[in-house]
Amino acid sequence: MAAAAMRPSMGALGRISSSTPSPLRPLTQTASISTTAALLKRHKYREARVYRDNSKHRGESAIHRSGTRWRLSMSDEPLPRPVPRSKLPAIETDPDHGLWDFFANRQMISDPPSEIAKHGRSWTAEELRHKSWDDLHRLWWVCAKERNRIATANWERNKGEMGFGEAEAQKRDHTVRQTMRSIKHVLTERFYTWEDAVKLAENDPEVDLTGNGPAFIPSNYLEEGDVAATEGEQQAAETTGETVEKADPVTTATPEPATIPSSQQPTDAPR
Amino acid sequence: MTTPIAAAAEAATKQLPRKFGNKQVFLPNHVVAFIRPKDKQPPNLATFVVPLKFNKFDLRDYLYHGYNVQVTSVRSFINRQFPKRKFAHHGRIYLPRPQKMMIVELLKPFVWPEPPAKSDLDAFDYATYKKISDQRGSETKKRIDPTKVPLLSRSPLPEYRVKLKESAADMAKRGEWSNEKNNDDEWTEVETDVKV
Repeated sequence: MAAAAMRPSMGALGRISSSTPSPLRPLTQTASISTTAALLKRHKYREARVYRDNSKHRGESAIHRSGTRWRLSMSDEPLPRPVPRSKLPAIETDPDHGLWDFFANRQMISDPPSEIAKHGRSWTAEELRHKSWDDLHRLWWVCAKERNRIATANWERNKGEMGFGEAEAQKRDHTVRQTMRSIKHVLTERFYTWEDAVKLAENDPEVDLTGNGPAFIPSNYLEEGDVAATEGEQQAAETTGETVEKADPVTTATPEPATIPSSQQPTDAPR
Repeated sequence: MTTPIAAAAEAATKQLPRKFGNKQVFLPNHVVAFIRPKDKQPPNLATFVVPLKFNKFDLRDYLYHGYNVQVTSVRSFINRQFPKRKFAHHGRIYLPRPQKMMIVELLKPFVWPEPPAKSDLDAFDYATYKKISDQRGSETKKRIDPTKVPLLSRSPLPEYRVKLKESAADMAKRGEWSNEKNNDDEWTEVETDVKV
């Protein structure tokens, strides 16, 4: 009977040591091995009482002005008041700020239609054929920035409901785009010229495309005496001023190195 | 940069190798619009409408190389558009391409000028523009829901009603009215002879 009076937890210990079934084993035990005394567990039945107070704000009332239950770690020093935006010092914009370039007009953003309409014609391909790659690329950026200016003004005019000017802006934009188109046209022409020149050079015995040594080795060249004679002739021609001008189109027709994809590109980034 | 020290510092930083914008791009064909900031938007933020294929790095490099504007960070978002008809009233319904916007944080703040007053917009012919746009707006409203007829009491009075109102007010002010006719000879007062 002493074993029956033993605490259930001790009975659980005895259960671990001896695996043999015993009549003293508590009937509530279900698992084969457990170190927890089943009868010492918290009651988890439905009506089990939880004594912990779950309401952290019990006793606090906004109506009765009870205040908080505990002292709060706050100081009663006056807080700084925010300064209204109108009283803040004005921020000055740098007159050389790059973003001014987006504006056609620094006060109005958009020019009035009469000002927008004041523009010339676009560059023609024939005019651009005489320009170098650097010039063309610079002109391209001028056009690109002008288009940005027009787009900014359009947005401002529409959103700000400023008035007319859309049609004039459209015409101006079209003129700019025509110039850009001509630039691409000229560059394409130069590329085709370069392609043809490479094809000719492959079969030309005077041209060496391997890159070792001079690219052009003339088969016939003049001796020193002949050079002096031709120089005298050239000087005579310069005084008349006829043959020199004819040589110009030949030099301009040679393709620019920048248009050749395989060659080395300029190191400076485009600005 | 006014002070020589600041100028020297700027020159020194220019000597440092740049971490961005080293990829060379030739003949960029993009249109970037600079947008007026919203109210209370701080002046170190600038908003742009950019092509859809732009990414944040593209805009940063574009502003640096094209406009010499330095940027510390870029945020981007896309505005979806509502379905539209091909023409104003009819035509197939399509979804316009969405619009990409980017907000950059500027190194140097930029404050936009105040929008011009409507009275200063004579060069834009604002009066005609407003008249036409208002008329178009009311017509559009009518087209969207023709059953929605504005109340007569809300609509402006016709001209004859205005004149009537004026003359009535005038009469009330004078306190008398006559039709400028004297019918005393034709009519006799009957009630005076009646004995009750």
